Amino acid sequence: MISYNFAYLDEQTKRSIRRALLKAVAVPGWQIPFGSREMPLPYGWGTGGIQVTASVIGETDRLKVIDQGADDTTNAVAIASFFKRMTGVEITTHTADATIIQTRHRIPEHPLTENQIIVYQVPQPEPLWRLIPERPVAMRAHALGDYGTMYVKLYEDITRFGRVASAYEHPVMVGGCVLMSPSPIPAFDNPKMDRMPALQLFGAGRERRLYAVPPYTSVRSLDFADHPFHPGRADGTCSLCGSTTSYLDEIIMDDHGTRRFVCSDTDYCSERQDAKDTTP
Amino acid sequence: MSLLLQAQGLNKRFQSVDALDDVSLTVSRREILAVVGESGSGKSTLLATLAGLQSADSGRITYYGADRPQDIGDMDEMQLRRLQRTQWGFIHQNARAALRLDVSAGGNIGERLMMNGARDYGEIRETAARWLDEVEIGRERIDEMPLNFSGGMLQRLQIAATLVTSPELVFMDEPTTGLDVSVQARVLDLIRNLVHKLDVATIIVTHDLGVARLLADRTVVMQGGAIVEHGLTDQVLDDPQHPYTQLLVSSVLPS
Repeated sequence: MISYNFAYLDEQTKRSIRRALLKAVAVPGWQIPFGSREMPLPYGWGTGGIQVTASVIGETDRLKVIDQGADDTTNAVAIASFFKRMTGVEITTHTADATIIQTRHRIPEHPLTENQIIVYQVPQPEPLWRLIPERPVAMRAHALGDYGTMYVKLYEDITRFGRVASAYEHPVMVGGCVLMSPSPIPAFDNPKMDRMPALQLFGAGRERRLYAVPPYTSVRSLDFADHPFHPGRADGTCSLCGSTTSYLDEIIMDDHGTRRFVCSDTDYCSERQDAKDTTP
Repeated sequence: MSLLLQAQGLNKRFQSVDALDDVSLTVSRREILAVVGESGSGKSTLLATLAGLQSADSGRITYYGADRPQDIGDMDEMQLRRLQRTQWGFIHQNARAALRLDVSAGGNIGERLMMNGARDYGEIRETAARWLDEVEIGRERIDEMPLNFSGGMLQRLQIAATLVTSPELVFMDEPTTGLDVSVQARVLDLIRNLVHKLDVATIIVTHDLGVARLLADRTVVMQGGAIVEHGLTDQVLDDPQHPYTQLLVSSVLPS
């Protein structure tokens, strides 16, 4: 019987990732290279996030894993059970109970606190990559704070769709000086990053980069003076809990185009349903 | 006319080749200077060096901008970038390589404005539309991808995308080479009108003496990395003194 080290990674690897994380926290939003390891799941499934979580998790932590807001989707369940086996920590679905939340594509509706760490899975850490394909050139742009090019994308969005239309992965300025990809979270979640009390860590396994936003750091979404940033949300009501403010998923019900909306954050939705059930 | 750019004693070697051999020249405000010579004579190296895109082994370049003279070699990268995208412009021979083909015409023109801090979409768009009219592409094509544009239109778009910030000095590297003759004439005509209208000084590199004659106030002739002759364009082309210039002028096909 082969036994694994606590949280799968060996201690030296965890230390090297922690060192990179310390650098990342020291320069908010700055991409730090790290020695990303081969993980027992494919790139694109959260290898970066898992390595970050494995480096910061301790025996007393309570872990929540979400994928697109849901606790019960394949990716979330697989990663949660991986950590259950490799650490023995308690897995929770309740946002408020978790000390570490690993997420793909969402920030929970429930506001996070100073006692929590949120770990984002990041496919592409470089916000300029579509505009500046050569990484060294992009790095010079970061070094010089030369971000005018990014607005070309926003210009194209407005021209094509009439508004800043990046529904997800809308670029942000961190601490007023570093351009950062918020990972593919919906633009709706961008404002939650601003001055968030929780520590935000980002891991990109394939690209071997990680970055961080320390608590209470300003995170501003890019926009134009005459086209202010607009956090998009489907105009609807959750058909399960009745929320009119949460981020919604649209579900097609039949072949006739009947549709309904439900909360993307399953924990938030079920908590609201439970609260309704107990009120007389 | 007051001095705008001065180069003194530029030298540049590529292995055993002297690309620039003690080159000195000046450009005044609102002046158009042509640099002619055969392929490999160092024209493009000279242009790239003057524009700060590559560095010389020795020599100095001084820019007499709005406030005070600045030595290009003393600038840090950010200062140089700012200069290159506000007060200078560079028009490449290959517009396809210089433009973003997957970004609309308006976005291409707006990029330089946004790089300089423009953050008002309406204003950027209006300026881009005005410039599309100016270069005879027409504002109705503002949302089209340059991918669908002809070679001449691409070059005119590049001109608009460069002149949009009203630079004081524009470097042009063979701007009409590769276009067919009728299109060449139209682009040259456009360049001539715009540089006069905007009072922008221009250094234009060309191997086409006709381009020099049409546009330039003064012409320098390069051979083997050195300037062999310089003077007023008419003087250089009508009464060439140096044997190489005489050869160049005599080898133009009669039209």
